[in-house]
Amino acid sequence: MAAIRLEELRKHYKRGSEVIRALDGVTLDIEKGEFVAVVGRSGSGKTTMLDLVGLLLRPTSGRLFIDDVDTAKLSDSDRAHMRALKVGFVFQEYNLLPGLNVLENVMLPLRYVKKTEDGRAHAMELLERVDLTDRVRHRPSELSGGQQQRVAIARSMINRPSLILLDEPTGAVDTETADQLVALLKRLNKEDQVTIIVVTHDLDVAGQARRNIRLKDGKVMTDQRVEAGVSVA
Amino acid sequence: MEMLRNIARRKLRSVLTISGIVIGILALTTMGAIAENFNALLDGGVQYYSSNVQVGPPDGQSASLLPISKIDEIKQVQGVAAAFPGYGFLAKPGSVSTVSFGLPDEIIAGDPAENDWGQLKLSTAQGHYLTGTAGEVVLGDTISKEFKKKVGDTIDLPVKPSDAKPDFVNHPFSVVGILNVTRTAPDTFAYINVTDGQMLLKDSLPIAIRSQIDTSQITEAIDVYGPRGSSLSQLDALADRINAQITGVKAIRPSVIVNSFKSGGAIFTAITTAAALLALIIGGLSVVNTMFMAVAERVREIGLKKAVGATTRNIMGEFLLEATFIGALGGVIGYGIGVLITVIANGTTPPGQSTLFLITVRLTALSLGFAIALGAVAGILPAWRAARLDPVTALRNE
Repeated sequence: MAAIRLEELRKHYKRGSEVIRALDGVTLDIEKGEFVAVVGRSGSGKTTMLDLVGLLLRPTSGRLFIDDVDTAKLSDSDRAHMRALKVGFVFQEYNLLPGLNVLENVMLPLRYVKKTEDGRAHAMELLERVDLTDRVRHRPSELSGGQQQRVAIARSMINRPSLILLDEPTGAVDTETADQLVALLKRLNKEDQVTIIVVTHDLDVAGQARRNIRLKDGKVMTDQRVEAGVSVA
Repeated sequence: MEMLRNIARRKLRSVLTISGIVIGILALTTMGAIAENFNALLDGGVQYYSSNVQVGPPDGQSASLLPISKIDEIKQVQGVAAAFPGYGFLAKPGSVSTVSFGLPDEIIAGDPAENDWGQLKLSTAQGHYLTGTAGEVVLGDTISKEFKKKVGDTIDLPVKPSDAKPDFVNHPFSVVGILNVTRTAPDTFAYINVTDGQMLLKDSLPIAIRSQIDTSQITEAIDVYGPRGSSLSQLDALADRINAQITGVKAIRPSVIVNSFKSGGAIFTAITTAAALLALIIGGLSVVNTMFMAVAERVREIGLKKAVGATTRNIMGEFLLEATFIGALGGVIGYGIGVLITVIANGTTPPGQSTLFLITVRLTALSLGFAIALGAVAGILPAWRAARLDPVTALRNE
């Protein structure tokens, strides 16, 4: 079975008497280690799909499997636990906690899981991989946008998730920084075999993915492999 | 650490919030210390009067005098295990009475054996208790400090007033013991033997009748004891039997006296409760306000924490802990300042006057426990709101 399976997944909202079909019957299989870009116009359902796959939202109907687990059967605390262990998030606005330094931000998700390994050592290792070992004690406000996003990427990796979800990760940085971030993501995807789903408007980023899923009005319009994407070793 | 940084992030607001709790707990501590001091005084009265029956002259008799033979009569009443004569005199006659939380200095004459019967046991910090030898005095802690007396010194009792008449009489007494602090009546008392009490009684009589009265046959009051361990109701019944069987005396039911002491204590308990309510209102509302603002400011942070695996319980716990910490910090500071004030105030109390404040373990636990509970309770609603935030909405909050 695929690492992630969406079966007729729907998310509808009511706004007064109107029903908003944010996601409307999406069926997809995403294999372990895939690098998938989800593209589409604003309101196409990209972020809703990301939130559903990240277990931040419950679907109106349909089923979502992550590593063969039917997430519909999970309680809220089990979903939180699964988020902590299997899913890493990266957001456009970085969402680093201003009161914590770089190392503490990376280690934040460790608070909510019971792990026996040395979290601090792993955090340092991740900061080395994102080339931020010289910024360990810095506060987010002392970092550039690109550096903050690299901290967020390191944070998303701290619990060794099988899936990283990125919502417009290059939306707040310049082109050069965006290229560096994508290169970093490709490296992590290759080295850790972690599944990456990135929601983006940026066609350059989408072009780096191995698979592009285009949404429109909550439905999958196209789903294609990109040959020029990440080379598989 | 993150909690401290969150509190420190909005310094002025945190200081103002903690100040609200500090003021409340300071009020609770100082008012409570006054109440504890007063209650200790009353507890002494409760202890003393709940262990015996006070027998005095019947209603309408002008002089508080009884034939000492009444003691033998009373001893014949069923249930009486012991009875002792008692005499009391002002230690500083003619001194101006001022409003005070303590009792005036008094000379108490009684049988040393009575100390074995009452619940309020007197013990000496220096020297020994009365032996029955004439001319001995045992001083309470406060009165000994007032007159700067120690064991082996001599004190003239009653103390001669500055404007004493030429016929004023007092006698030298040898200090044989200083009592331990009781924080109640004995602290301001000077204990002497019965024969010396009868001598002072004679001195107190008008000159015209002084020579006609044999004070060795008179007592001012009789303290009657039932068998050891008698309950208050048993002592009440004993008082009723004395009144029924012995003429020319009036036995007061101990429950009447004890209840009057307890009702006095209730007033101060009400003051403490009012101070606690003040703390609740001022401190509690400021914590609620601060925590609601903290939740509003940290919506994205809450969303992020949920995204990385925090459960509703985790978020609630974090905010509750923060609110509780604010309460505890305000409590410790308020209690500390309160203790400092009481120590300084007690330290500057002139010798011979009872101190006003008493910090007890119970009050410490109440003040700190109340502050912590206050923070926790005030934090519940904001923490609940934070914990219930929808992560998707929270993450994209502007």
